[in-house]
Amino acid sequence: MAVELRPPAARPDRPLRPGLAETLRQAWREYRSMRTALVLLVVLAAASILGSLFPQEGLSPQRVDQYFADHPALAPVLERLGLFDVFGSPWYMAIYLALLGALVACLVPRTRALVRVLRSRPPRGGDLARYRSRAGFHTPAAPEEAMAAARRVLRRSRYRLADRDGQLAGEKGYLREAASMLFHLSLLVLLVGLAYGKGYGYRGQAAIVEGETWANARVGYDSFSPGRFFGPDRLAPFQLRLDDFSNSFYANDTPREFASQLTAMDLDGRTLQAQRVAPNRPMTVDGVRIFQSDYGYVPVVRVTDAKGRELLAPQEVLTLRDPASEVSNGAVKVTRASPQVGLQVVLFTGLRTGADCPGGADFCNDPRLVRPVLVVLAYQGDLRADRAQSVFTLDQSRLRPLGDRPLLLVPGRSAKLANGMEVSFTGLKQYSVLTLARDPGVPVVAVAAALLLLGLVPSLYVTRRRVWVRALPAGPDGTRVELAGLALQGKDAFEAELARLAEQVQRGTLDPRDRRRATE
Amino acid sequence: MTPAQLATTSDTLTWLAVLSYVVAATLFGLDFAYRARWLGAAGLAVTVAGLGANLGAAVTRGLAVHRVPWGNMYEFSIIVGIVTVTGFLVWVARRPEIRPLGVFVLLPAVLAMALGGLVFRVPAGPLVPALNSRWIVIHVAAAITGSSVLCLAAVFSILYLVKDRMERRQRPPAPPLVAGAARTADRVEVDQAVARHGLIWSRMPSAETLDQLAYRTTAFGFPIWTFAIIAGAIWAQAAWGRYWGWDPKETWSFISWTVFAAYLHARATAGWRGRRAAWLSILGLATLLFNFYAVNTVIVGLHSYGGM
Repeated sequence: MAVELRPPAARPDRPLRPGLAETLRQAWREYRSMRTALVLLVVLAAASILGSLFPQEGLSPQRVDQYFADHPALAPVLERLGLFDVFGSPWYMAIYLALLGALVACLVPRTRALVRVLRSRPPRGGDLARYRSRAGFHTPAAPEEAMAAARRVLRRSRYRLADRDGQLAGEKGYLREAASMLFHLSLLVLLVGLAYGKGYGYRGQAAIVEGETWANARVGYDSFSPGRFFGPDRLAPFQLRLDDFSNSFYANDTPREFASQLTAMDLDGRTLQAQRVAPNRPMTVDGVRIFQSDYGYVPVVRVTDAKGRELLAPQEVLTLRDPASEVSNGAVKVTRASPQVGLQVVLFTGLRTGADCPGGADFCNDPRLVRPVLVVLAYQGDLRADRAQSVFTLDQSRLRPLGDRPLLLVPGRSAKLANGMEVSFTGLKQYSVLTLARDPGVPVVAVAAALLLLGLVPSLYVTRRRVWVRALPAGPDGTRVELAGLALQGKDAFEAELARLAEQVQRGTLDPRDRRRATE
Repeated sequence: MTPAQLATTSDTLTWLAVLSYVVAATLFGLDFAYRARWLGAAGLAVTVAGLGANLGAAVTRGLAVHRVPWGNMYEFSIIVGIVTVTGFLVWVARRPEIRPLGVFVLLPAVLAMALGGLVFRVPAGPLVPALNSRWIVIHVAAAITGSSVLCLAAVFSILYLVKDRMERRQRPPAPPLVAGAARTADRVEVDQAVARHGLIWSRMPSAETLDQLAYRTTAFGFPIWTFAIIAGAIWAQAAWGRYWGWDPKETWSFISWTVFAAYLHARATAGWRGRRAAWLSILGLATLLFNFYAVNTVIVGLHSYGGM
């Protein structure tokens, strides 16, 4: 990707049949060429599109499962091709590693070329008449004075200068190449930081009920995805207590805020820190960042048999909240009853009926916790508790409805089922879902991103250019000053710059103070 | 004014801006066809008036909702109009000869705003908690600016391709006709080309100028787009605990970034600069449009906030 200022040196005549070494050299040149980088960039973009068209394992595993259910024949093939984990697949990795390889392969000669250029002096200009960008003027000053003025002007414009064959050669704009290399190097560093963070970090989710204390151990997580090199012993030793959870809504029923008041403690129960964690307001404990992800409701339910004996001690029932309606669903499994009894519970935070509901619905829900009502639908039969099943739903395959009407309970009240059992809604709490994540690569990535941006702008806007000046005696007491130049980029702007430089030099030769200094 | 009145004012101003842009586009179009100076000047005046209305729409919307006015696709569309038109005006100030191109810049802006107003309009309202961050000011502003500027660059690339095609057909340039002289075969060919495509296209700035406009506009938009992605990553780190998760919106912004990076490389590669590079820029435009319209509405992801 190097931009050569000099025309390429003539290569010796190659033999008619290139040998292996020559073929390899040719391939290597091709690999590190801009064209290869270009093609790989487009291929990388095309490959990324695949990752957004198919559901991704790391992003939405449920949707991958759904895809398997919808396309039982196709899905396994796609999975083998890695299309459900595009960004972790070997072929995606191959593309970006090839790109990075090409990048390194071209950065090495570029670095060498830049060092060489910085060490050498600006080259000779030769015949100035052959340059397209030229400027010139006549001045009464002597040639030495004119050259001194040119030197001053070019130095002020921060040109690197050298005397070449009686000409003054100036060059500037090395920052473009240096910045471009900084940009590309930062990309490499960014990727290293990303890989390091992925490998040694982890991410997980945990639900905590109000008032409860949760210990940071693998078993406490509902979902846990560790990096390849993350050992469970690396989990920071602390506990979290959810002191309070609160949520609020705007007048139009859209969510305004939800937040957890958390206290972090060490394993002996000593308080480390306390903070209100809300979306966009995470907390950091021992290098672990804790984010507010979700929340839900926990009705407390107690079940007794017809004689008042307790079948289910007051139990906190974790429910799943529908974010659109704020209605939550959960299941209570009374395995001690015989036959077994299952309760499907639906929690309304504020049950409204008739006139209060939009669109003539019979009932609807106020998202605010103003009038909680627990609707209980009872079933009896076999709960199939021996089989793995969701905590939020009942396996209804061997259950039949118990009674023909659901029970409606408000906190503190109880009601009897058709078989004489009594269900009590003894209390209502909230739970908070927190995401806990540790990514040791973040500082590296952050610095790399900053450097990347720092390099990008000069690499696009600084232009590399050269100027040559010569002064020839013209007539008895005058000098003809000629400027010529060459710009690799921004040729229009350079024309104007050269004209401005010529004007400044001309003015410099006429300034009496400068003339005196020049003759001293 | 009450928030409701402010919101209504904002909606009215938005349509007023759209209307102004349509009128200005027509004037620029006529200027393009007939080269009457006053038409272009009038078009410019109407554009500036429309931009005023557009700015007013954004400000009143912001006042109505007590936050930055870029929280959903409708508001995003309003800002797109501001950035695109401002970008065009800046170019016209620097190169007056491109003024008639206004028709090609204003029409996409009008399309984006009208689509926003007709399809994605949502009543003025507060943001969901996940969007309540000061990063929305920085990240979304940069994303709108970057994508609008890159779209503008792609429009220049399209015009470049059209003009380049014309120029290649008309080469070699015909010698001036001497009275009474027989028409040369070349001249007949040029006349046929003009008859086919109309004189209008021959009045566009040269292909080289258009190519340069496209490049410089991309060189301006690309760092802003890069910054938008980085700012988004910082926000994602604060909001979701990971700076990059291949969410569809992230993936597509990366795709756009890659394609425009390819364009910048192509401009410095023999055999790619010129037409092939221009096609990359158009591909970039397609990815930006897909990211905004399709990803927000069709593909499920964390960025599904379009208010749909």
